[in-house]
Amino acid sequence: MSMLAGDLRAFLAAGQKELRILRRYPLNFIGGLFWSALLPAVYVLMGRAYSGGNDPRALSAFAERAGTTEVAAFVFIGFAMYMWLSSVLWGPGSALRREQIQGSLEATFLSPVSRLVPLFGPGVSALIPMLFSFAVTFVSLWLMFGFVPPLGAAIPVVVVVAVALPAMYAIGSLFAAGVLKYGEIGPVVQIVRGTFVLACGITFPVAMLPAWAQAGAAALPPTYIVSDIRAVVLRGAPLADIGADLLTIVGLTAVIALAAIASFRLLEASARRTGMLGRY
Amino acid sequence: MDELRAAIAIGKKDLIVLSRYRIAVVSQIFTPLYQGVIPAFLFGASFAVAGRVVGLDATVGTDNLAGFIFLGGVIAGLVAVSFWSMGMGMRNEMDAGTLEPTWLTPTRHETIVIGRALGGLVWFLLSQVVLFGIGIFAFGLRFDIGILAAVPALVVAIVGMVGVAYLLAGVVLLIRDANFFVDTTNFLFSTASGTAFPVTLLPTVLQPIALLLPTTYAMDLLRQHAIGARPTFDPALEYLGLFATTALLYPLGRWAFARAERSMRIRGTLGQY
Amino acid sequence: MTAPAVEARGLVKEFEKGRRTIWQRLRREPDRRTKFRAVDGIDLTVETGEIFGLLGPNGAGKTTTMRMISTLLEPTEGSIRVLGIDVAREPRQVRARLGAMLSGERSLYWKLTARENLEYFAALYHVPPKETKERVERSLAAVKLSDRSDDYVERYSTGMRQRLALARALLPDPPLIILDEPTVGLDPQASRDLRDRVRELRAQGRTILLTTHYMEEADQLCDRVAIIDHGRIVALDSPAALKRTIRAEEIVRLDIGVAGDGAAIVERLSRAGTVARSERHNGTLSVTVHCASARDLVPAAFDAAHAAGATVQHVEVVPVTLEDVFLALTGRGLRE
Repeated sequence: MSMLAGDLRAFLAAGQKELRILRRYPLNFIGGLFWSALLPAVYVLMGRAYSGGNDPRALSAFAERAGTTEVAAFVFIGFAMYMWLSSVLWGPGSALRREQIQGSLEATFLSPVSRLVPLFGPGVSALIPMLFSFAVTFVSLWLMFGFVPPLGAAIPVVVVVAVALPAMYAIGSLFAAGVLKYGEIGPVVQIVRGTFVLACGITFPVAMLPAWAQAGAAALPPTYIVSDIRAVVLRGAPLADIGADLLTIVGLTAVIALAAIASFRLLEASARRTGMLGRY
Repeated sequence: MDELRAAIAIGKKDLIVLSRYRIAVVSQIFTPLYQGVIPAFLFGASFAVAGRVVGLDATVGTDNLAGFIFLGGVIAGLVAVSFWSMGMGMRNEMDAGTLEPTWLTPTRHETIVIGRALGGLVWFLLSQVVLFGIGIFAFGLRFDIGILAAVPALVVAIVGMVGVAYLLAGVVLLIRDANFFVDTTNFLFSTASGTAFPVTLLPTVLQPIALLLPTTYAMDLLRQHAIGARPTFDPALEYLGLFATTALLYPLGRWAFARAERSMRIRGTLGQY
Repeated sequence: MTAPAVEARGLVKEFEKGRRTIWQRLRREPDRRTKFRAVDGIDLTVETGEIFGLLGPNGAGKTTTMRMISTLLEPTEGSIRVLGIDVAREPRQVRARLGAMLSGERSLYWKLTARENLEYFAALYHVPPKETKERVERSLAAVKLSDRSDDYVERYSTGMRQRLALARALLPDPPLIILDEPTVGLDPQASRDLRDRVRELRAQGRTILLTTHYMEEADQLCDRVAIIDHGRIVALDSPAALKRTIRAEEIVRLDIGVAGDGAAIVERLSRAGTVARSERHNGTLSVTVHCASARDLVPAAFDAAHAAGATVQHVEVVPVTLEDVFLALTGRGLRE
C-alpha cells in the first residue's frame, strides 16, 4: 500500500474510532436534543420580552441591525452554529488531549502514519452531531415558533455548509493543537466558545459590537457562515450575493489549517526534546 | 454548637479549595458574563429605539435593560450555587473519595449540605459584588436603594433553595449521569424562575411550574424593589407564595436526602466512583 | 469488666446484582435482580486493647464487614455493638468514638495541606476548638509527618497519604481504630513504618481492628486473626494457634518434572505427609506437603520421582504460615 493510501485509510479509521466513542455516550445525543431546542427557545422568549411582544418599533429597530424581523429564525440559526462549534471543540478538538491523557497519542506517533492523521482524522466524527443538531434546530423552530424555511433556500444552505465544513474542521484542529499544549480542556472550551459567541453574531447582530470587535469578527469564519445562512434563509439572498463571503471563508480556512499544522509541528518538535507527549 | 462549627468548617474548606484553583475562580466570574450577561445585553439592545428598550418597558414597566439582566443574574447565580455547589458538590466529593471519611465523623450528614451552602453563598455574594461592579462601570447598571427591601425575600428564597439542594443531593448521590441531570435541571429551574424573561411569557402549560418555585417570587420582588418593574402578581400574594413554596421544599428536600442516604447505606454505594 | 470493643452477632449482608431502571419500576416489571451474600452469618468479638485482624482474599467480605461496623453500611440481618453502643440505634455515638481509615489516600483533599486537612476533620469530629491545635500536632507526630505538615497533599507519596489518613483517624482520640487494608499499595519500607505506628497505638491502650489479604501482616501484627472466606469466618484464633492446626512442623514445596499425571508420586508422598495441594502445569507437578520433618520427606520425594522416571526440579522447605492454614481450610490460596 502506498504511504498516501495508508494515510487515507488511517484517516478514516481515526474518524471511525471517534464515532465509536461518541456512540458509547448516548447522553450526548439526548443533550444535543435538549440544548439544540431549548437554548434558542429561551432566547426567542427573551426577544419577545425585549420587543414588548413584537412591538413594530422594536422589531423595526432589530431589523435595521439584524437584517430581518424574523427574530426566532435569526436566533435558531445562530444557535445551530453554536451547537456545531461546541461539537467541533468538544469532539475533535479534545480528541488529541484525550489521547494524550490516555497515553495512546505516543502509540500513534510510534506508527508510520502521517502526523496529520491524528490532527485531522477525528474531525470526521463531528459530521454526525452537526447534522443531528441542525435537524433538531430546524424542526424545533418549526414546531415551537411556526417558522418554515423557504424551499428555495435549501441548495444555497447546502453550498454554504459545504464551504463551511473545512473551516470548522480547521478550527477544531487548531484548537486541538492548542489544547495539547495548554492542558485542561473544560475552561479552554468555555473561553474559545465564549469568544466565538461574542464575536460572530451568534446570539445578537454583529452590528451591536464596537468597531474594533467587528474588525476581529471579520477574521473568524463562523461570522460569515452564520450571516450567510441567515441571508439565504431569511432574506432569500441568491448565491451570487454571498459569493465574496464564501471566498473569504475559503481563504480563512487555508490560513487556520496552516496554523493548525504549524502549531502541531512545533509541539511535536518540542515534545521530542522534552518528552512532553507522554505527560499531561 | 458542634454542628455549627462543623458547617462553618465545611464552608471554609470549600472556599480555600476553590481559591487554589485560580482559573476556576476567574472562570466562575467571567463565564456568566460572557456567556450570559453580554450576549443578553447586546441582544436586548438590538431592539432599542433611540437608545430606549421600549419593548422591555411595555413588557415589565421599565426600560432598565442592564438592571433587568443583572438582577436576573442574581437569581440565576443563586440557583446555580444551589445546584452545583450544594447539590452536585456532594456527588463530586463522593467521586473524589472524600465523602466517605466525612460520613464517618459524628457530624450529621444533613449538616454537610448546610456547610456547602455557607461556602457557596459566601462565594455567591463575592461574585455578585464583582459582577455588579462590572455592570455599573461597563453597562450603566443602575438600581434603587429600594433593593434592600428585597433582601428578606432573598433570604427566604435561600432557605427554599437549600431545600432544593437537599433534594438534588439525594438524587445525584444515587444516579449515574449526575452531571447531565444537574446541568439540564439547573437551566430549566433558572428559566422557569423568570431570570431571562418574565414567567408570563412561558407557554401556558409550563406556568404552573413557575409558581411552585420560591425563586420565581424572589425574582419578581427583587426587580420590583430594585428597578421599579411592574409586579407580575399581587406583591402580597408573591410573599405568600414565597413562604409557602419554601415551607414545602425545605422539608421535602430533607426527606428526600434522608431516603437517599438510607438507600446508599443499604446498597453500599458510598465508596463507589 | 469492660465491654468488648466490637461485638457482632449473626451478621449478614445481602446485595442485589444487576440494575433495575426507573423505567422498569414504572412499568412494574418483575425484579429480576439476583441476591448475593457478601457476609453470610458472622459472629465476632474484639476484645479491648487487642489488634484483631480479618484475613481473607479479595471479595471475602472483609471490607463489607468493616463498613457495617463503622456505620456506613446497614446489615441485612444481625446486630453490632461498638464499645457497648448499638450501631443501628446510635450511629453518631459510635462514630464519635471510632477512628476509621477505609479508603486511604483517596479520601484526602489534595488542594489542602496536611494540617488543613486535619483541622477540617477535627471540626467534623467535634474536637473542641481549644484542643484542635494540640490534637492535630499530636496526630501528625504519631505518624511522623510533622515536618511536611504544611505541604499540599497532592505532593505527598502514597505512603505519606496513607499515614495522613491514619492521623485523621486518630483525631477523635478514639479507643477503637478500624483500618481497611492499611498497607495496600505501599512499598515494603512504608508498610513496615505503618505497622510500627499500629503497634504504638496498641501500646497506648487502643483497640485496632484491621483487614488485610497479606498473611505476613496478619501474622506479625495481630493478637488474633479471623480467617474469612465467602462471607464466613472459617477460623478464629491467635496466629500461632491457627498455625498449630496444621498438623505439621514444616511445609515442603516441590516442583517435579513428569511425563504423566504424577498420581503415583502424589500417592507416595501422601504416605510421608499430608498433600495439601498438587497441580500439574506444562509438564511440571507442583506439590505442597505438610510433614513432621522435611528430613524424612525430601528423600522420600526423590525416591518417588526416580521410581516414576521423573525429575525433582525444585525443593523449598518453609515454616507453616497463615497462607497454609487458609489453604487447608478452603483449598485455595489467599492470592488466587
